[in-house]
Amino acid sequence: MGQPTLIAGETRHTVAELEELAFELRSKLLHLCGTYEGAVHIGGDLSVADILTVLYQYGMNVDPTNIANPARDRFVLSKGHAAVCMYIAMAMRGFFSYEGIVETYGQLDSAYGMHPCKVQLPGVECSTGSLGHGLPIAVGMALSARGRGDTHRVFCVLGDGETGEGSVWEAAMAARSNELGNIVAFVDRNRQLMTSFAEERVAFEPYPDKWAAFGWNVVMVDGHDMGQLVAAVDALPASDSKRPTVIICETIKGKGVDFMEKNLAWHAGRLGAADLEKAMTALNSTRKKETV
Amino acid sequence: MAETFTFGEMLSARSVIGTTLAELGETHDNLWVLTPDIGATLVEFRDKYPERFVDVGLAEQVCVGIASGLAYDGNIPVVSGMLPFLSMRALEQIRSDICYPNLPVKIIGTHGGLVGNGGSTHYAVEDLALMCALTNMTVTSIGDPLMVGEVLRQSMAMPGPLYIRLAVGKSDKVLYEPGQHDIRIGKGIVARQGTDATIFTHGTVVAQALEAAEELAVEGFNVRVIDMFTLKPIDADLVAQCAEETGGRFVIVEDHLAYGGLASRVADVVADRGLHLTAFERLGIPQVFAGFGEDEQLRDKYGYGLEATKAATRRVIAATA
Ligand SMILES: Cc1ncc(C[n+]2csc(CCOP(=O)(O)OP(=O)(O)O)c2C)c(N)n1
Repeated sequence: MGQPTLIAGETRHTVAELEELAFELRSKLLHLCGTYEGAVHIGGDLSVADILTVLYQYGMNVDPTNIANPARDRFVLSKGHAAVCMYIAMAMRGFFSYEGIVETYGQLDSAYGMHPCKVQLPGVECSTGSLGHGLPIAVGMALSARGRGDTHRVFCVLGDGETGEGSVWEAAMAARSNELGNIVAFVDRNRQLMTSFAEERVAFEPYPDKWAAFGWNVVMVDGHDMGQLVAAVDALPASDSKRPTVIICETIKGKGVDFMEKNLAWHAGRLGAADLEKAMTALNSTRKKETV
Repeated sequence: MAETFTFGEMLSARSVIGTTLAELGETHDNLWVLTPDIGATLVEFRDKYPERFVDVGLAEQVCVGIASGLAYDGNIPVVSGMLPFLSMRALEQIRSDICYPNLPVKIIGTHGGLVGNGGSTHYAVEDLALMCALTNMTVTSIGDPLMVGEVLRQSMAMPGPLYIRLAVGKSDKVLYEPGQHDIRIGKGIVARQGTDATIFTHGTVVAQALEAAEELAVEGFNVRVIDMFTLKPIDADLVAQCAEETGGRFVIVEDHLAYGGLASRVADVVADRGLHLTAFERLGIPQVFAGFGEDEQLRDKYGYGLEATKAATRRVIAATA
């Protein structure tokens, strides 16, 4: 099927532009983490930032002007603790204002908080936060699309730790049993859980083989390489095909900020003004290296 | 360490869990600690007894299932995690694999009530109703951080399952001087004496109820506060005694659904024993999926904060028989 269709009037971003957008997303994430009084799941936000950029700015057919557009691709953030990364990615795509997020995040009655809430924030497709719920819901959405003869896709982003939940594998089985080629799962394979490095506690490997054994089409990419992410999206099988696709994205938790990278202390945290500056300097230095 | 903390100080219940389990691991070589990736406070136990520590990663159901298997074979497993996920994802394992065979598994966790600002997936607001419904389950909800250690120690001799509910557990007010009260599972604590009315409460809002009672004392009211930290089996004799001694004027305040938690259990005692009340008010979470906000803001919003507690208490005192 090749490249996804676009909402009328849009142009497609280049890889370089997407890289710039991902940088902007990370800067905004750090700003929020540096100014908000509570903890932000910054580690898993930074690891999934490139994935959400490619989805919202390239891969998904979304319609910020009509969030109920039936032709839109559906998106389920199964690792709901990366909500703030999704809010900002959506704001950058025109769903709502970034300032609105920063000004009200985590406050009483705010639409924006630690986990996505569809009731308070229409535009979010589904309320998540309890891990292991997203993929089953995505299967339901994909079945519905199939039943109606719709051609949109259902995208679902999971944490690798999250895939320790049995419900993920029940859903993987159901997706294949129902021949749902309209499902695309992205796994943010940062090899960290909340309190441990993943492989210390859970024998995930051989990880791609597990998905393959469940009958999925498995694609491996560097989850911080925009070119590879774009290529993976471009190569997605047609949505009326029979095999669901999983794109396993090798990532680094805390990506872009040296003192957060692969550091268990930064699953969630609060930066504060001084460390915000440090973090921004670190992020800026990664940008130079990449563009020189 | 108990002596170094006094009333009003803040202490992390999680750190108490950590040190208590490490200490109990020494005296009980069949004590196991399990967690589904919520292990930060269990580091001391993990490092001392790595062979009796199991972190299964994100997998609450198998975590409770493994605890069952360990207990079937004569061990004492403690499962520590976040309560919305333990009490609901693993509910059937708790019911059929632990309660049904009546095994000595302790489930202990955080995020009971509208606490932590995580949104509705992360608030355990119906957990006490669920747990109280389970045959053989003993159900507790603890506010005082030092009590957590005491209850864990007592639980080592319990033959059946136990549920221990905490709020966030990062910073909790020490409510009782060590030794001030005889803390026993199944017995309510008279946290404050009084004769005009009784406030029954548990967990994180005990501190708030005590504050309300102190402020009402300035207005001339003498209010009793019962920390009913064991919801099941409920201390029915204490409920009856309070009905008699405080004019049958009851306020129940809890960080849980207003129907299904302590208020319902007290109401059951009232009905079953045919107690005569003058007034009964229940303050708790209504049937909503709450959004974001700090703990205190949410309590105020949903009508079980400090001011609401005082207002309800004034009303029951003013009620005429
Ligand atoms: C069912 C459930 N159990 C526990 C949690 C608490 N929790 C939030 S994030 C997390 C670790 C998730 O690891 P992973 O899925 O790999 O996400 P990432 O590392 O990308 O942040 C845990 C244990 C939760 N949100 N849901």
